[in-house]
Amino acid sequence: MLSRTASHLYWLSRYLERAENMARILDVTQSLAMLDPGADSGGAMTPIVITDTYKEFTATGLPATYPNVVAFLAWDRFHPSSIRNCIEAARENARAVRGSITSEMWENINDTWIAFHEKAKQTDPLMTGNEFFEWVKERSHLFRGVTFATAHRGQPYHFTRLGTFLERADNTARILNVKYAQEAPDDFQEHSDDQADYYRLSAVLRSVSALEAYRDTYRDAIDARRVAEIMIFDARLPRSLRFCMDETTNVLDYLPKDSGRIPRRIASEINARLRYGTVDEVLSYGLKRYIADFLHDMAKLGEAVNASFMTGR
Amino acid sequence: MSIAMHAIKMPPAHHFDEMLVSSANSINPQTRDHYREYFQWLNSSPEQTLTQRRAQADLLFRRMGITFTVYGDEGGTERLIPSDVIPRIITSEDWEYLERGLAQRVRAINMFLADIYHDQKILKEKLIPSEQILGNAQFQTKMVGVDVPHDVYVSITGVDIVRNNDGKYYVLEDNLRVPSGVSYMLMNRKMMMRLFPELFLKQSVRPVEHYPALLLQTLRESSLVENPNVVLLTPGRYNSAYFEHTFLAQQMGVELVEGQDLFVKDDFVYMRTTTGPQRVDVMYRRIDDVFLDPWVFRADSALGVPGLFEAYRKGNVVIANAIGTGVADDKSIYPYVPDMIKFYLDEEPILNNVPTYQCRKPDELSYVLANLKELVVKEVHGAGGYGMLVGPAATDAERTHFAELIKQNPGNYIAQPTLALSSCPCFVGAGIAPRHIDLRPFVLTGREIRMVPGGLTRVALKEGSLVVNSSQGGGTKDTWVLGA
Repeated sequence: MLSRTASHLYWLSRYLERAENMARILDVTQSLAMLDPGADSGGAMTPIVITDTYKEFTATGLPATYPNVVAFLAWDRFHPSSIRNCIEAARENARAVRGSITSEMWENINDTWIAFHEKAKQTDPLMTGNEFFEWVKERSHLFRGVTFATAHRGQPYHFTRLGTFLERADNTARILNVKYAQEAPDDFQEHSDDQADYYRLSAVLRSVSALEAYRDTYRDAIDARRVAEIMIFDARLPRSLRFCMDETTNVLDYLPKDSGRIPRRIASEINARLRYGTVDEVLSYGLKRYIADFLHDMAKLGEAVNASFMTGR
Repeated sequence: MSIAMHAIKMPPAHHFDEMLVSSANSINPQTRDHYREYFQWLNSSPEQTLTQRRAQADLLFRRMGITFTVYGDEGGTERLIPSDVIPRIITSEDWEYLERGLAQRVRAINMFLADIYHDQKILKEKLIPSEQILGNAQFQTKMVGVDVPHDVYVSITGVDIVRNNDGKYYVLEDNLRVPSGVSYMLMNRKMMMRLFPELFLKQSVRPVEHYPALLLQTLRESSLVENPNVVLLTPGRYNSAYFEHTFLAQQMGVELVEGQDLFVKDDFVYMRTTTGPQRVDVMYRRIDDVFLDPWVFRADSALGVPGLFEAYRKGNVVIANAIGTGVADDKSIYPYVPDMIKFYLDEEPILNNVPTYQCRKPDELSYVLANLKELVVKEVHGAGGYGMLVGPAATDAERTHFAELIKQNPGNYIAQPTLALSSCPCFVGAGIAPRHIDLRPFVLTGREIRMVPGGLTRVALKEGSLVVNSSQGGGTKDTWVLGA
């Protein structure tokens, strides 16, 4: 399989996953904003902090209001990770390899792209709401579904999986980082009766579709420690760090073993820390440090994947 | 049979229409025999059937992303090529004749290319003036003395054929470099079978779907390697024909590569894969000669592969079509094709050439300048409908301007009488109306010459227009060759 094809497939699924994650973050931020309108102007900036786009956003000169932040992260033409540009990039990558994916996969992503442009014409960016975010999520689900249902389980399939899980792990880590480490850096509370905290935590869970899983697992009130635990260590939760890294190590086993030696090693190391770690260790080490280490390792893994499979050496 | 249900606009009386025959009073037009079945169906279907199915077709084409990129628009815009829902039908007798004529023509052209890059007998016999070849920008001096397997230079030819109002077929040009359009032929058929299954149950239409299999067979035969690794080389997704490149690569099951995916080591070509370098034996290239190797041709080309030509020269990779075939489809060489057929094959040409005036000859130049109003003038190296003047359709100002261009550089132009181009009814906005069409059959040369029946019918969608190129607002329609 061509190195370039591998790269396009990997980025195709990374961008689509990124679009979905962006929609999830914006959706949750919006519902939080609706709980307490006008009170928390800092909350509007949360998505900006999560996506690490503070510089880009302030460069637009727009006030930090929720509608402006959404318009920027969803529709901005110049922000490379806006939902708009993620969908453009996903479709461009798909177009470059349409011969290596099933026609159903191609038609699905092309359909998304066509429909997105229709939506762009009809939507006022400042009025973007839940319906749009649900649509983005649904299109992402559909693509994964059509991939699952139609793709031949060869290298192309595994490269799309690889992109999905690396991007997803990165995103979950960033949500954790901001929602905990940065918004409540010093007084990490295991238990809190604060109602605002309850909504904040359940919003975090919802952003990674983990609310039901949480209830099912703990059958108890939502507390910060358990939220960290389920998002980092739960092997059954599709958006947890553990789950993503289990999948990543699995997928890497299907890819050429010789060229994949280094990414496999790095992924296994990250995975081992998740398999054999506990949330108490994480909290005593410091969640913020832990996440920073994780993101650093993931960046290393991303580089190794690129160097090993996508340069053809 | 006379016309009942649909409002069908008749072709002008002196035109040759593929479907309809104007009777003397033009009130009671008749269909040609081979359209009878189709016409019966058309008359028994309400007009909204066509409207609905055309809308369905548009939707499917867009969804499948069957587009081409238009140059000149900002950043290259993706557009659909309009596909008409009324088929162009060719009798089995006509196709049998075209097939023989095409095979003969392509065989002679391959022999001509082998000759001018080796012994140059045809020049020594003075059938073609030497300077016409050796001074031609498309003649690749680097190819002189280079052997290609089985002497096949042109593996894939797209021959443009038109039908004049005398009802005869004429070859307009031979596309010997990187002819495109075959994917639209295949998609048109797929679409028609999906939208009008009842028509294909009613009468026997010869299939075309095996074209990719024939193409792969042709490419594999072009190599001396036992089980060759075939790839399709594309300039990338910003190229106007990118859809076709991906489509053909997928249908053949070969890798679609760009220049950046390939490298040359010790005069062999390799592609970069996830498991390391892999040898490439045959390249079906959809890139022009000058972009193939920056060390030998255009140094600024980022599309090609440095060192490719040396690997090619040594016979370590097959490039299809070969480098340097453009000299044979140059419009200044076109007039000599009938002579080539006689010279190499000792046969009479089966297909007609269009009479051609060469502006480089002073007497023909003055004829051309005096008769611009009746002629079509073309640049000898032009393609895609750019840089041409359709005399009868042009304004006085355009003709005067073009006359100046010709006088400045006569050798750059040829002129031909304005062929009427046959028409075929098309389903256009206002109902069914005649539009001018041409035909591009694709001829494959491997161990033997192969083609699928028919080809791509291109349509000049603007009323009265003779320009069928997709870049100039042309469309296409499905082409049926009837079973014998």
